[in-house]
Amino acid sequence: MTPDTETDEGDVRFVRQLIGLDYAVRTNPVARAFGEALAEGRITGHRCPSCGLVYVPPKGFCPICTVPTGSEHEVAIADRGIVTSWTVLTPIQYAGQEEREDYALASLLLEGADGTVGQQRLVEVALDEIRMGLRVEAVWAPEGEREPDDRGYGLGTAITGWRPTGEPDAPADAYREHVL
Amino acid sequence: MPPDTETTFTMELMYRRSLGPVVGGFFTGLRDQRVLASRTAEGRVICPPLEYDPETGDGVDELVEVGAAGEVTAWAWVAEPRRKHPLDRPFAWVLVRLDGADTAMVHALDAEGPDAVRTGMRVRVRWAEERTGTITDIACFEPEGT
Amino acid sequence: MRDVAIVSFAQSGSLVGTDLSETQVILPVITEAVERAGIERSDIGFTCSGSADYLSGTPFAFVANLEAVGAWPPISESHVDMDGAWALYEAWVRLQHGDVDVALAFSSGISSRSDLGEVLCLQNDPYYLLPLWADHVSLAALQARALIDAGLATEADLAEVAARSRRAARDNPHAQVSGDVTAADMAAKPEVVAPLRAGDVPPVTDGAAAVILVAGDRARDLCENPAWIRGIEHRSDPHYLGVRDLTRSTSARLAAEAAGVGDAPIEVAELAATFSHEEIVLRQALGLGDDVEVNPSGGPLASNPMMVSGLIRIGEAFRQIDEGGRHRTLGHATSGPCLQQNLVCVLEGDS
Repeated sequence: MTPDTETDEGDVRFVRQLIGLDYAVRTNPVARAFGEALAEGRITGHRCPSCGLVYVPPKGFCPICTVPTGSEHEVAIADRGIVTSWTVLTPIQYAGQEEREDYALASLLLEGADGTVGQQRLVEVALDEIRMGLRVEAVWAPEGEREPDDRGYGLGTAITGWRPTGEPDAPADAYREHVL
Repeated sequence: MPPDTETTFTMELMYRRSLGPVVGGFFTGLRDQRVLASRTAEGRVICPPLEYDPETGDGVDELVEVGAAGEVTAWAWVAEPRRKHPLDRPFAWVLVRLDGADTAMVHALDAEGPDAVRTGMRVRVRWAEERTGTITDIACFEPEGT
Repeated sequence: MRDVAIVSFAQSGSLVGTDLSETQVILPVITEAVERAGIERSDIGFTCSGSADYLSGTPFAFVANLEAVGAWPPISESHVDMDGAWALYEAWVRLQHGDVDVALAFSSGISSRSDLGEVLCLQNDPYYLLPLWADHVSLAALQARALIDAGLATEADLAEVAARSRRAARDNPHAQVSGDVTAADMAAKPEVVAPLRAGDVPPVTDGAAAVILVAGDRARDLCENPAWIRGIEHRSDPHYLGVRDLTRSTSARLAAEAAGVGDAPIEVAELAATFSHEEIVLRQALGLGDDVEVNPSGGPLASNPMMVSGLIRIGEAFRQIDEGGRHRTLGHATSGPCLQQNLVCVLEGDS
């Protein structure tokens, strides 16, 4: 931490502190299995043995039924789905910002899943043509460049983005329950 | 079974804290190489100053100057300093009751070894060369007479 | 006051460097506590949890932890950035409202992901203490020295506490550190921050615990030996060490008086004495005589999941009644540097 004050003269009224804390998180077994499948070009989920809902990424339990899930509950999920919600981001050029142009992130309901995956990059589509119900498919990173999200929050770098399939949009009933 | 993997990351949080007249006054004093304390209605002198009387809860806003030397009231020896500790060599944590104060300050004492530290010993402030108005304007304490 | 009893307690045991998510650690613990109580999750009218996101470095981890409760459809819940003992306190207060009868208190902490010696500095005031990165062991060592200087303890006394904790922990399957050790063994351990030696300092533990509280007669229906909360109070000392008399704990004494500790003999006390000397301070402050058995579980020196250790103390005090046939026991929790804040819970069985 570097304490620092804002003025060299006059009364000291503020203090600045930069607090830095280091963490080391061992990879969760569920996240590890999910990441290994992604490296092979497969998306997997867990189906709750009680209510049947499918979670992507898998959590290792069903939060509604509060029962654990494991590899025996693994199911395959398609690498295609529909946009349920999206936003266009205009990157502010703060230190470390790597984005230069406006871009879109979306929540996607993948075929075979009962919940959305969030913050997925949309590619090969004009920003003013993005809409709910838009059908998209994964653009996979080359093998060997598919790094998992070891903390189990997302898809890591395995999928660089999602592009429109060109098929007709999904009807509103398909995503009505998944817009948030 | 693949080997264990581990994700490491650093979480950084930047704070800009307002100090108010009591803590701000104390830090202004340190920047100018003066040690200030707060004095309660009962006349108890608290250093470093609190904005309230811990006995009564009443607000305290009177600042008075105390000495830059005092007496060790408790200590602990750090043989292996942590990376963020005030000193990068073995040192003592001390509670120091400065001359004129009724309470003690927590800080580091630069001493040669645990045998050179005892409760009741006299110590004085070693000022930081560059002072910006923080508790670390006191670089550490040092035994009086060194 | 409404009579409220603990009817069920479960704990994860001492996990060391777990690779599970915090939610995964909590889930089976809550399930076990619920099953032991003989209720359904849907019977729970109020839930309160305790945790600190700084430990795992995950913002809003306490929200993700709720997934272990079964929070859909939405439930009535709350969270404290405190040891789970304070979650239990809030649950007890909530049951006093009279409109719900069953409450769940749980807490969790994954301490192994960070350096406690840095993370716990963030509980210190940001002006005078935090910039010095005075870690919790260093501050505890100052208190131990104050106690020794005042003639209230010797280093041999500290070693005796450390050895007794490890010996007691041999019978505790949830303990992390145990062994057939002597005070001389502990006195020979290397100094961490003198005068504290390795045996005087707790291990780094991951874990979770859960307690079910039930009000009124329903507690007797659910549990053969409910442990009634006869008194529960918490008090705090000033934060800054330099304005306190470190040789005594005024807040622990006041909490004990308010909780009625002295109204009748205590048979067993589970104290959140995180460092050896703290047991000596607490025995005096709580007015516990030499005949009171302290920390038969081994206490925090044998297993110390942050944010959970205090709730476990109350859970162990419950077990002494539920399984151990004791009548009147005490659970204690603490928070802040050098026993700054203290919670005392007095439990009584029917028999």
